[in-house]
Amino acid sequence: MRGTRAALACGVLVALAPLVVRDAYLLDGLILILLWGSAGAAWNIAGGYAGQISLGHSAFFGLGAYAVGVLATRWGASPWIAVVVGAALATALGSAIGFLSNRLRGPYFGLATLAVSQVFLIMTSRLRTFTSGSEGIPVPFRPGFWTLGIADKRVWIYLILALAALLYLVELYLERSRRGYQLAAVREDEDAALSLGVPARRLKVAAIAVSAALTAVCGALWAPYVGFVDPLYVFSVDLSIRFALAAVLGGLGTALGPFIGAALITVLETYLRAHLGGLGGGLVGIYLIIYGVALILLMRWAPQGLLPWLGELRRRWAPQETAP
Amino acid sequence: MTRLSVSGVTKRFGGITANRDVSFDVAPGELVGIIGPNGSGKSTLFEVISGFYRPDAGLVRLDGARLTGLSPDRVCRLGVARTFQKLRPFAGLTVVDNVMIGALTRTRDVRHARAQALDILGRVGLGEKAHAHARTLSTGQRKRLELARALATEPRVLLLDEVTGGVDQRSIPGLVQLVRELHRGGLTLLVIEHNMRVITALSQRIVALYLGEKIADGPPDAVVRDRRVVEAYLGQAYASPPEGGAR
Repeated sequence: MRGTRAALACGVLVALAPLVVRDAYLLDGLILILLWGSAGAAWNIAGGYAGQISLGHSAFFGLGAYAVGVLATRWGASPWIAVVVGAALATALGSAIGFLSNRLRGPYFGLATLAVSQVFLIMTSRLRTFTSGSEGIPVPFRPGFWTLGIADKRVWIYLILALAALLYLVELYLERSRRGYQLAAVREDEDAALSLGVPARRLKVAAIAVSAALTAVCGALWAPYVGFVDPLYVFSVDLSIRFALAAVLGGLGTALGPFIGAALITVLETYLRAHLGGLGGGLVGIYLIIYGVALILLMRWAPQGLLPWLGELRRRWAPQETAP
Repeated sequence: MTRLSVSGVTKRFGGITANRDVSFDVAPGELVGIIGPNGSGKSTLFEVISGFYRPDAGLVRLDGARLTGLSPDRVCRLGVARTFQKLRPFAGLTVVDNVMIGALTRTRDVRHARAQALDILGRVGLGEKAHAHARTLSTGQRKRLELARALATEPRVLLLDEVTGGVDQRSIPGLVQLVRELHRGGLTLLVIEHNMRVITALSQRIVALYLGEKIADGPPDAVVRDRRVVEAYLGQAYASPPEGGAR
């Protein structure tokens, strides 16, 4: 399979990077690409494979991040425990949303998830005693692997690469397994899927729950890496859009797509901000305009996402290859 | 012996009664046609049997097991498959993937499902189109695809909503032949059809609906000559013919 070979090549390249690259700035960029790619891939399970376009996945990401912050500051618990707790909470929340919104199709599901993420934003900002309100929670740095107090970015690369690999494998499963085929049927036409014996409702809820749980895992690993959980950031609409954008730009419902999309967004954003976003440059904010225009152009010329678009280009330029 | 039993089915939408106390049985291996002018409740009846609508009264049974109240996917797993009047292929998937969705209801093994799907596609005459995207098919081919997909769920009863509707004249004989072969293979079929020539030629028995009620049930030639059926289709003027018969 061409797709898996490309993914494997990317994985090996990333794994080799820390041996060559010493620059903390570049390593940080790589870690964020992998992290946003993973979150995009988690979003993709619901949005791309099950057709449940969510605009509120930051709710799950924030749940994971807050699990780390609250458990560490109140009970001194390891982020690894928070990963499990956050994933469990997100599974419960995702199942509840999935169950309640089962009848909502199209944009209504997106609006419902958006509302949920905003409820969390308001709740965590107001609950001063439990979540420290809008000040946020600094994640205490306790050196060690169990406490994820790791200063060396090269270790983080391998950690987040493992997360990315896990998500990639989940998506591969969704492309090739029985459940994956059935999910594709639900996405294409729910009634037709039902008529063929596909338990559409149950599958949709399951897809949302798994997507939510894995998004929470991303949040729970992000928090100790960045070291600070801020409600305005982790529950933001921006973040929800970022997950969706990574998957949509890379290729909705493709395994490697969200990572390609995340790479594009992160590089574009970081580069533009670094070169045009400097205070006093008279061009403050113009990077956002360029960023927006770039996204519009991309969606104009490659509406199905970068990965499928590249595949199409390849077919167009090498017609002899496809002929028998 | 009764395979499918429909008893006393009533379905209302607000003030409109789409089905009123409809009852009939289908024997194993029988091919029963359902006719009636537009709006007489044929499609509603299919939706009730296949579990998409819950009837206000009445029961549907398959080999004695109650279907009423079950979700459509459970009804399918128990052995009732259907096609849609307005075709609903999974347009973004390939033809063989479409059929695999049906096959995967009976097997957990993806490779086995693929082999089965290819086999069924060969039987319905779509073997060459297996790897094309469903959206590229013609209407006639889409009808075959829907049929293949439903067959892949290994139904005990197959509900066909409009076999020849919207299909060009040249494709009709092939489709009719296909349905006939399925019937000959022992499948029990319930078929909605507007084309009278087709339905009388295919059916062993015909049930006629009018304004939601069953008005006739019997052999095709008797039903199409039934006074109430002719009235329903053409109006009273044609039902009470002057000397020499109506034209």
